[in-house]
Amino acid sequence: MMSQKKIKFVAGSALIVLAIAYLISTGINNTSKYFVTVDELQARKATYYGEGLKVKGKVVAGSIMRNPNDYLDVSFKIEENKSNLKVLYKGITPDMFADDRDVVVEGVLAKDGVFHANTLLTSCPSKYEPGKEGGAERPGSMPNYGAEKPDFKKTESLPKTEI
Amino acid sequence: MNNLGEFALMLAFATALYGVVAYVMAARGNRIDLYLSADKTPPIVWGCVTLASIALWKAFLTDDFSLEYVWAYSNRQQATFYKISSFWGGQKGSLLFWTLLLSSYMAAVYFQNRDKKTVLVPYAMSVMLSITLFFLFLLNFSTNPFERIPLPPEDGRGLNPLLQNYWMVIHPPTLYLGYVGFTVPFAFAMAALITKNLDDGWIRLTRKWTLISWFFLCMGNLFGAQWAYVELGWGGYWGWDPVENAAFMPLLVATAFLHSIMIQEKKDMMKVWNMSLVLLTFVMTIFGTFITRSGLIQSVHSFDEATLGYIFLGFLCVIVAACVTMILKRLPELRSKNELDSFLSRESSFLFNNLVLLGIGFATFWGTIFPILSEAARGVKITVGPPFYNQVNVPIGLALLALIGIGPIIAWRRASWANLKKSFARPTAAGLASAAALFPFVPLQDKSQALTYLAFVLCAFVTATILIEFFKGARARMELHGESFAAGLATLVWRNKRRYGGYIVHIGVVLIFAGIAGSSSYSVELQKRLKPGETLELRGYTFAYKKLSAVEASDVKTRIIAQLDVTRDGRHIWTALPEKEFYKGQNQPVSEVSLYSTWKEDLYVVLADFREDESITVKAHVNPMVSWLWYGQWVIAFGTVICMWPDRLERRRRLERFRQQTAAFAPAQE
Repeated sequence: MMSQKKIKFVAGSALIVLAIAYLISTGINNTSKYFVTVDELQARKATYYGEGLKVKGKVVAGSIMRNPNDYLDVSFKIEENKSNLKVLYKGITPDMFADDRDVVVEGVLAKDGVFHANTLLTSCPSKYEPGKEGGAERPGSMPNYGAEKPDFKKTESLPKTEI
Repeated sequence: MNNLGEFALMLAFATALYGVVAYVMAARGNRIDLYLSADKTPPIVWGCVTLASIALWKAFLTDDFSLEYVWAYSNRQQATFYKISSFWGGQKGSLLFWTLLLSSYMAAVYFQNRDKKTVLVPYAMSVMLSITLFFLFLLNFSTNPFERIPLPPEDGRGLNPLLQNYWMVIHPPTLYLGYVGFTVPFAFAMAALITKNLDDGWIRLTRKWTLISWFFLCMGNLFGAQWAYVELGWGGYWGWDPVENAAFMPLLVATAFLHSIMIQEKKDMMKVWNMSLVLLTFVMTIFGTFITRSGLIQSVHSFDEATLGYIFLGFLCVIVAACVTMILKRLPELRSKNELDSFLSRESSFLFNNLVLLGIGFATFWGTIFPILSEAARGVKITVGPPFYNQVNVPIGLALLALIGIGPIIAWRRASWANLKKSFARPTAAGLASAAALFPFVPLQDKSQALTYLAFVLCAFVTATILIEFFKGARARMELHGESFAAGLATLVWRNKRRYGGYIVHIGVVLIFAGIAGSSSYSVELQKRLKPGETLELRGYTFAYKKLSAVEASDVKTRIIAQLDVTRDGRHIWTALPEKEFYKGQNQPVSEVSLYSTWKEDLYVVLADFREDESITVKAHVNPMVSWLWYGQWVIAFGTVICMWPDRLERRRRLERFRQQTAAFAPAQE
């Protein structure tokens, strides 16, 4: 038989556990996002309109365009298994954001099929096996300049500005 | 030398294998000869692994690119400093480094307990050897760092420039020392379970090892946060990435363990619980390694060789199965006769702190594996991000903070209304006073700011409880021994290292809580494109962009530096010099954040982009109270060192007690 004292402790502990379980379940309900690849998204577009989404894909070579008046205004396309998706993003792009890199964008799919991203993450390029803390693939890191050393006199080393 | 290294790894594997088998057979057949030979293996394994590590280091230092691993993580121009740290720059080397630390811990425990005739040690040794054996198996048959390139190239690829900063030398070893160290308490707990020595002997033998590992794990987490903050340039220090979570979870479980063993030492209770916690801590460290190395969970910084993940998963399953079986088997012996006396008591506050710590741990775990679970259950990947962790862990964290204040001053066994009033009147008054004092200064516009306000008030409450404890103790010494206040305080701490060291750690934790609360609610940031002469305004600071300059720092590095003068109310405060570095042969620039840190707030400037016409895009942050985290870190380090300091007094007391007991049984001879 459990003593009364013991019941009290079990009840108290159960209360704490239930409170934590409640926090976790509401947390998941309020903040979770679907994580899909571009082809999965395009296959079931209708169900994803207006939802908070994370989409993974590869940046289509040559698709990165920047607004000449505002460097932070970026548009590009990502693809996966021959499906592609146009993405609009405003903000600093990460160091390793470039053609053919795998990226994950977070945001909302608009009715016109354009994805409005508020977060842009790059996965590591295959050349590197990134170290433990090495992934500077945080939102809001630096843009990429390609392999050349920068030179103020050389225009080729600067990012594209046509949109 | 490479052949020697490879051979040493093989020899270590063979010796460890022999050692495990011989230990087990010695224990089963009660054979002393086998035991004596098995007992020679741990130092030999350690010697071989050390030799292999030296060989790999030598290959790095002598630019021996015939090793695939050296070629991949080093090049000729790399500074010696980074050649040394490239050792753990990748999968293979980091596994060797892990094995080196593990076998060093094993050797240290071996020599420490050599002359003690404890039955636990050989069993603990065999457990540690088995774990070392697993890593040696990986090193020999799956990820050999001595793999050759038949035609050695002229130069190596070099360490990723993002890793070329001094944190690379500090952070991974610290974290690894923490991770690996928990193998020691795990091994002794297993030994206690196997031999049915289930009193607190194993806890006392491993208390220091647990503390050391906890210390390194805690420092490793905070160093990681600092690295992210000062180097990665996104303005924050913690992103709830799976890999960060992987290091955070064992820390939480270990903290719970460190607290609940006090109940076992004092009351001989909660044995099952403690046993489960120490086993869980170790399981969490292996789980963390599994996450980092499997690529199963989308993370920004994981290794890319996925196959290793499944080997780790198998290892993890074996360990979990072993832990569960052993605990179930020993359940009758682990039952405790004592039980908790009252809801309002020190003991139960420990129980609740444990539940709360594990609650944070479980929420973090759930969030980390949720994508896998949802995919398995519903066929869609559903992820959770920082909002989830903040929403869940902030309230639980605040409960924990409150318990840090309540725990140390509530009475043991049963707290009566009178002693509750006596011990809590002043701290509560301090909390209320700080609530009133802060009210006019703290903005309270949304839920997050309200929680921050609550956090500050709780911090004041906890600090008050701790300071009152110090003050009371020191004053008692002043009255009893006529010491000055400072001398009284010093002796107080020196004579009760565990208790007051623990309080000092708590103060550090409070500082960290305050820093997190302040910086997560009141940070502001602004991105803007500036031409020379233009300015940016942020929270009363004016950032005036002066000029852009290019510096050829060395043959391999070019730095582009922007200069911004920061003023406030017309007064010059600081010159920000955010920069971008370009390395030869690397196709990504590395950004260097410019940071001005005060106790009140940090100014944090990142150069996002620059153009031919010298216009730049910058991102400026004002992050309040971030430095409190780093102050907290040093306070925690100081407190832990006090806790760990060898206590002669404690030993003398124990000896004295022992002598009295024996004297009572042996009447005087003369």
